[in-house]
Amino acid sequence: MRMKRINSKFSLLTLLALLALQSGCAMVMDRVTGKMAGNLSSAILNQEDPETVRDGAPAYLLLMDSMIEGNPESASALGSAANLYAAYGAVFVEDPERAKRLTRRAREYGLRAMCVVHVPACGWAEMDFASFDADLATLTADELPELYSFTVSSLAYTRANSDDWGVLAELPKVESALNRLYQLDSDYQSGAIHLYLGILNTIRPPALGGKPEVGREHFERAIELSGGKDLSVKVEFARSYARLVYDRELHDSLLTDVIESDPVQPGLTLFNTLAQRQAETLLETADDYF
Amino acid sequence: MIISRTRSGILSMVSAIVLALLVAPSAQALDLKIATIAPEGTAWMKQMRDGSKEIKERTEGRVNFKFFGGGVMGNDKKVMRKIRIGQLHGGMFTPTSVADVYPNMQLFGMPLVFSSMGEVEYVRERMDSVLIAGLEEAGLVSFGFSDGGFARVLSNTPVTSVESLKGRKVWVPEGDLITYNTMSALGLSPVTLSVTDVMTGLQTGLVDIVASSPVGAVVMQWHTKVKYMTDFPLAYLMGFMVVDKKYFDKLSEADQQVVREVFGKVYAEFDRQNKLDDRAAFKALVDSGIEIVRPDEEQIENWRALVGASNLEMADRGVISRELLDKMLGYIDEYRQSQAGAN
Repeated sequence: MRMKRINSKFSLLTLLALLALQSGCAMVMDRVTGKMAGNLSSAILNQEDPETVRDGAPAYLLLMDSMIEGNPESASALGSAANLYAAYGAVFVEDPERAKRLTRRAREYGLRAMCVVHVPACGWAEMDFASFDADLATLTADELPELYSFTVSSLAYTRANSDDWGVLAELPKVESALNRLYQLDSDYQSGAIHLYLGILNTIRPPALGGKPEVGREHFERAIELSGGKDLSVKVEFARSYARLVYDRELHDSLLTDVIESDPVQPGLTLFNTLAQRQAETLLETADDYF
Repeated sequence: MIISRTRSGILSMVSAIVLALLVAPSAQALDLKIATIAPEGTAWMKQMRDGSKEIKERTEGRVNFKFFGGGVMGNDKKVMRKIRIGQLHGGMFTPTSVADVYPNMQLFGMPLVFSSMGEVEYVRERMDSVLIAGLEEAGLVSFGFSDGGFARVLSNTPVTSVESLKGRKVWVPEGDLITYNTMSALGLSPVTLSVTDVMTGLQTGLVDIVASSPVGAVVMQWHTKVKYMTDFPLAYLMGFMVVDKKYFDKLSEADQQVVREVFGKVYAEFDRQNKLDDRAAFKALVDSGIEIVRPDEEQIENWRALVGASNLEMADRGVISRELLDKMLGYIDEYRQSQAGAN
């Protein structure tokens, strides 16, 4: 009896091992790792103490790395890792060199995720702008999550490397990818695409080709889509748009609103808490700026 | 003993108040508003703000520079107008923008005079002070110039000879008379557009050649619309900050010295950093797939002869000082000879 149980256990393991050797298994594993990555993400996003995330997240990042090592072709694991590395590198890391390193890994994962679902993407890094743009047009809603991970991780990478002309010269590609996401599903990720389009349109002043009013529309739509609950959108609206066009009234009213709001919201708590801190800093420095 | 101490204490307090009152008028804080096209959040703006913070501290709050970045005060022409009516007190400019006030600022930017950064450095070491003094005499106080690199030809078909330029539509910035004349002399059809319309111009075929520094091309994203860059310096670009002398003269001698020292330092740093940026942006263009083409020596001589004549003609018409142009060309010759001798 006992022997039998061990045997059955053994056979179960064997079965798993056998399954793992077969390509069909990738699907199962993909779902498991993808789901786990998703759970990890939401646990992190609902945390109201940013320091806990800052100190604890590296362990999750390592876990993501190991999941990918075990299942290197999982688009969803690669995508989740890209998103997490991007967020961590862009938000929690103050040392510029570390931010560069971590967001580089984010971008590598993002590109690999894209490469799994869309083979021409494996050559995106070497493509010139026109070919890249033409290839983006062939993507469909099926590749939306991976394109999103690629874009977000590229944005984080660009931000961490804004002193690098080579990276800046690639920014038009990232903008193009973002525009493609917008065409495929403008309201994807409850307004995140609008938020990023808001930021990109307000990076450059009008005199250098920026479009602050287009940016403003995106910020307003992003606020609308989150029902006003995503405080980081309002902070970014104040920092990117209101400061660019020197609209002090808008700047202060957005930030005051952020500080007075309840940061605890499903999936937004962590970034809302951080947004409130940033809002305070922006208000404190407003007199020097305006 | 105690009484005398108290009395002397009161006396010194009284004299301190009297002194403070006497000093008050000249100690009144002066806000100097400076406009620039440089976007907020860039290293340039950060350094300008750090500089103004240092000035504020060292002048005990008497001098307070405020910066309006991102071209929010309008284009250079509008900013100059606002300076004239006292709404602004200064700005960060390129030479063309102050051409009405002091035309000679365009001297280093005369087309095809320089062929290397070595020549530029040799001339600037000897002539920066001449232009700074001229500008100040014209009513604008500056604190040194920052390098902007060389403008080069960016195009969709290779440009390597005068023939490959004939009849082609080239972008010329608004109000840039010298570039306009030069492009005409080279047989091109100049199309005047504002900087912000160039991208659309390239997309629609309204222009097919633009001249830009590598940094400018990356920032404006023109590199996504062209295939070739001609590695040949067309014109030297630079930037500088000016403060209207009327307002600068209101500062005490000591405070003026602080401003000159701090912004002088900032601009020297810009000058150094911009040279590095120019090289890095050039490499970024190559890495992004832009092909570099070079005209042969014969063509270069051909261009220089055409444009050199047009430069002298412009100087004779009074667009810039002939005396200064000759002086600069003399230094360039001197440098070339020293290099030839060294080799």
